[in-house]
Amino acid sequence: MTEGDVRDELDRVVGLVGAPNVGKSVVFNFLANETVTVSNYPGTTVTTTLAAADGFALTDTPGVYGISSFTEEERVTRSIIFDIDAAVNVVDATHLERDLFLTLQLLDMGIPTVVALNMMDEARADGLAIDPDVLEARLGVPVVPTVATEGEGLGRLADRIEEASAPSRSPLGQWYDQLPTGLEATRAERTLLVEGDEPTAERVHDRLAAADGESAAVTPDGGSSGLAPDGLRDEIYAHRRSRVERLVSSVLTHSPTSETLADRFDALLLNPLTGIPFVLGMLVAVYWIIGDLVAQKLVNVTEVDLIAHHWVPFVHAELGGLLPHGPVFDAVRYVLLNGTLGLLTADVRFLFGVLLPLIVSFNVLMSLAEDSGILPRFAVLTDRGMSRIGLNGRAIIPMIIGLGCVTMAIISTRMVGSRRERLIATALLGLAVPCSAQLGVILGLISSLGPIWWVAYVGVILLVFGLAGLALDRVLPGEGQGLVTELPRLRVPRLENVAQKTRAKTRMFLSESIPMIGGGSLVLSLFTYTGGMGVAERTFAPVMGLLDLPPSFGHVLLMGIIRRDFAAAGMTDLALSHAQLFIGLVVITLFVPCILSMAMLGKEHDVKSGLLMWAGSWVTAFVVGGILAAVIT
Amino acid sequence: MDTLSDVDPGDTFQIVTIPDDRIRAQLQRMGFLDGAVECRQQLRKGPVIIRRHGTQMAIGASVARAVEVAFGRDLDHD
Repeated sequence: MTEGDVRDELDRVVGLVGAPNVGKSVVFNFLANETVTVSNYPGTTVTTTLAAADGFALTDTPGVYGISSFTEEERVTRSIIFDIDAAVNVVDATHLERDLFLTLQLLDMGIPTVVALNMMDEARADGLAIDPDVLEARLGVPVVPTVATEGEGLGRLADRIEEASAPSRSPLGQWYDQLPTGLEATRAERTLLVEGDEPTAERVHDRLAAADGESAAVTPDGGSSGLAPDGLRDEIYAHRRSRVERLVSSVLTHSPTSETLADRFDALLLNPLTGIPFVLGMLVAVYWIIGDLVAQKLVNVTEVDLIAHHWVPFVHAELGGLLPHGPVFDAVRYVLLNGTLGLLTADVRFLFGVLLPLIVSFNVLMSLAEDSGILPRFAVLTDRGMSRIGLNGRAIIPMIIGLGCVTMAIISTRMVGSRRERLIATALLGLAVPCSAQLGVILGLISSLGPIWWVAYVGVILLVFGLAGLALDRVLPGEGQGLVTELPRLRVPRLENVAQKTRAKTRMFLSESIPMIGGGSLVLSLFTYTGGMGVAERTFAPVMGLLDLPPSFGHVLLMGIIRRDFAAAGMTDLALSHAQLFIGLVVITLFVPCILSMAMLGKEHDVKSGLLMWAGSWVTAFVVGGILAAVIT
Repeated sequence: MDTLSDVDPGDTFQIVTIPDDRIRAQLQRMGFLDGAVECRQQLRKGPVIIRRHGTQMAIGASVARAVEVAFGRDLDHD
C-alpha cells in the first residue's frame, strides 16, 4: 500500500505524541500492522513514520515536551497534531511532573486523547505510587497504565483508543477572549494563538485571507502578527504548570528510595575527573572495534576473500564473454568491469565489501550509545571546548560518527541545533575529519614513517580543525546557542531496539548511497575512458609542483573526489619521500569529502553552501600543503 | 542577584528569570520554574547540571550566566 492508499482507506488518523525517550516507538510497533512510509516531513530533516493499524492510520511524531515552534521537531509535531483525529499521549510515569504539561496542552487544544501511562515498572522501582484511576478521573480522558517493553497494558490501550476524548471546555477561556472577536479558528488554533505561536497565526491568517478574498481586514496591521497576542505565553504556561502540580500531588505518592546504581554511575560520568577517562576509554574501545576488528579483519574477509576472489572473477567470466565487441560495447564493458570504478566490480566491492560491514557495525554501536543515554553525557564533558568554536557539546557526537563515516555524520548534525551550528559542524566534518576507510589507509602509510610524523599529522589536522572552527564562528552571522539538553536516565540498551534502529539506518543509508556511488563511478569511468583524466592531470601539474608533489598526485586527488580512501590508496603506488608522503597525507585529509558526503551535504543544506564548502576544502588543502612544503623544504 | 553559574553541587535554589524566550519556555514546560531546583554538578567553565523531580538538565555556561536564581534565604515563604 502507498501512503495515499492508507490515508484514503482509513479515514481516521491517530498520532502518537510524547516526550523523547518515553517508549513511543515500542507502542508504535505494537499498534502498527504494516509500516508504510518513513519519510522526511516536508521541508524538514525530521523523519516520521506512517503505518496502517486496526481501523485507523497511525503516525508517530518527533519527541517534544510541549507544542509550539521553537525547534524543527516541535514544528513537525505541531503540524501533525493539527491534522490528526486523535492522539495517544505516551507519558513516562517516572517523569509525571515533566510530561503532564504536554498532556494538558493537548487537552486544552481539544485534541481527543488517550494517555498511555508508561514505564510503570520503573516508577514502582523508584518508590512512586501512581493511581491511574484518579488520574483518569481528574483528566477526564482514558488513562491506561503500561510497561511497553514487556507488552503490558498495550492490548488494553489499543482497545481504548476509540474512547479518546477531550474535556468539552478549555480552561483557557479568559485568554481566548483576547483574540479578535468572531475569529474563525479551531480550539487547537486558538490555544496556540494565545500562546504566541507565530506559524499558527500565519496558518489562520492565510486561511481567512483565502476565504474572504484579500479585502478581509482580519488584522489592523495587515499581517498575521496581530493574531498572536504577545506576552501571554508565560502566564498561560504558569497556569498550566500549576494545574500539573495539583494533578501530580493528587495522583502520586512518593516513598524515597536509596540512590540507584545508575544514579551513582551517572555522577561519576558527569564528574570530569572520572568521566573524561571513561569517555577516552570508550573511544579507544570503539576505535579498536571499528578500526581494527571491522575495518581490517572483517573487511579483509568480505572485500578480499568474498568479493575480490570470488565475485569479481565470476562477473568477468560471465559478462566479459557475453558482451560482443565493438566501440559501444567496449565502453559499456569498461564502465561495468574496470578495476578502479566498474559498476559491477569496484563498486560492488566498495559498497558491500567495505562500506556495508562498516556501516552496520557503526550503527550497532551508535544505537547502543543512543539507547543507553550516554551521548548527552559526552556533550556535557566536551561542551566547554566546543563552545570556543561556535558549537556546543552536542556537536561532539557528529564528530565521533565522522571518524567512522563522514556521510552518516553529516546526517547526524541534525541533532546539534540551529542552522548556524549545523553549518559549522558540517564544514568541519567535510574539512578535517578523516573517515575510517581513509584513516585505515593513512594509518598504514604513516606507520612506515615513524611516530614523529604521526604526531605531526594529528597536530596539523587538529590545528586546522580548531582554526577553521574559530574562523567560521567569527564569519558566520549570529551567535552560538548554549547547551540546554536533558540528561535522560541511563539504562541498559534493549537489543530489540538496537537491532531495529540498525536495520532502519542501514537501509536508509544504502538506498541513498547506491545510486550516488553508481552515478559518480559512471561519470568518472567515462571521463577516464574518453581521455579526460590525462588532460586533467596535465592541468593540475603546476599546482602539484607548488606542493612539492609529483604530477601523478593530481590523479590521486581526482580519485579522492569520488572516495576518500581511493586517494589514500592511490598514494601507496607513488614513490614519495617522507616529507612528500606527509604533505600528501595532510592534503588528502583536508581535501574534499567523498562524493556521497557531498550529495548528502547538498541534500541536508543547500547546493550553494555545499559548493562553498567543497571549494573551501580545495583551498584549505592546497594552502596548508603549500605552507608545509615551504616550511619543510 | 546570583546566577546559575554561581551555584555549587548540592545547592537548592529557585530559578527567577531566564531572558531567552526559547530556553525559558523549554524549562518552564518541564517544571523547572515551579519551585526548588537542585544542582547536581558544576563543571569548571562548563555546563551546570540541575535536577527537579528526577528530571536532569545540562545548561551550558553561556546560558547559565544569564539565568538569575534565588537561594532559600532570599525566597519568600510560600
